[in-house]
Amino acid sequence: MTYREQYTPGPARGAQIRKDGEKWTLILVRELRHSPEKVWLALTDPAHLREWAPFEADGSLGTVGTTVKLTTVGAPAPHVTETTVTRAEAPEVLEYNWGDHDMRWELEALGGGTRLTLWTNIGRRFIAMGAAGWHICFDVLDRLLSGTPIGRMVGGEAVKFGGWQRLHAEYAKQFGMETPNMPPQAAQES
Amino acid sequence: MKIKVMTVYVDDQDKALRFYTEVLGFTKKVDFSQGPYRWLTVASVEEPDGTELQLALNSNPAAKAYQEAIFQQGQPAAMFFTDDVKGDYERIKALGAEFTMPPTAVTGSTIAMLKDTCGNLIQLTQLARW
Repeated sequence: MTYREQYTPGPARGAQIRKDGEKWTLILVRELRHSPEKVWLALTDPAHLREWAPFEADGSLGTVGTTVKLTTVGAPAPHVTETTVTRAEAPEVLEYNWGDHDMRWELEALGGGTRLTLWTNIGRRFIAMGAAGWHICFDVLDRLLSGTPIGRMVGGEAVKFGGWQRLHAEYAKQFGMETPNMPPQAAQES
Repeated sequence: MKIKVMTVYVDDQDKALRFYTEVLGFTKKVDFSQGPYRWLTVASVEEPDGTELQLALNSNPAAKAYQEAIFQQGQPAAMFFTDDVKGDYERIKALGAEFTMPPTAVTGSTIAMLKDTCGNLIQLTQLARW
């Protein structure tokens, strides 16, 4: 069996939501068994991002003021947005925008590993979807850095995966959201 | 091959969803998101498995320029067919929509034009019976 076939995500945890006026923010915390320097590289380097992130970058996100094109992976129509890195303090804080989502990453050294926190704003009805998607991305990231990669799982590919649907339902329940509106064909095909 | 999805660009997807469902009377078909990308479509209540209309955010400059230019030329961004253009005109107008053209007889059809509140003109067409 490949690492990917063996993979089953753990239970939904480490996610919070915050509401500020009409703006919802999803806050995700994950402890990784890897140093902040290693995690920083995975968050900023295009070759690393390609292995785990829900977007591709055409340049490094590691320098303030750089303009980078982000391509959403697996979107049902091409979706490219331009971002400017507004904060990059290696290996601690990284800020940029992904379309109309503000992305703030914080890395704290924790033993030999890293406590990684992501703040991202998100439409209310997509909060559980986002939490489930990032949960799997962080699993993929952790395994990538451990040298046992399972391959990126985003977009329709993630949705078709049974673990995503379970996580989606669990996060929706945790956040007290109504029954999540399942994505279309992809979910029905599995 | 089938024609399954057509796209109109809108300046606000939540506002568009309200207008296309509550005012025009379509039904929400698909709504999901991946990061900042949101795939949102509506369909006709009379034909829920028929062609879908994607309400796409005009967040790239080319989409925005195209949308504004055809709006200024008075070109509709989408055209819907009805069996009762006068009835739809009265119903939609009563819900507060702004028409730029009341039902008007043209060659082969009667048409009306209205603003969708999201940067577009929409044409309603009733084909004439020959």
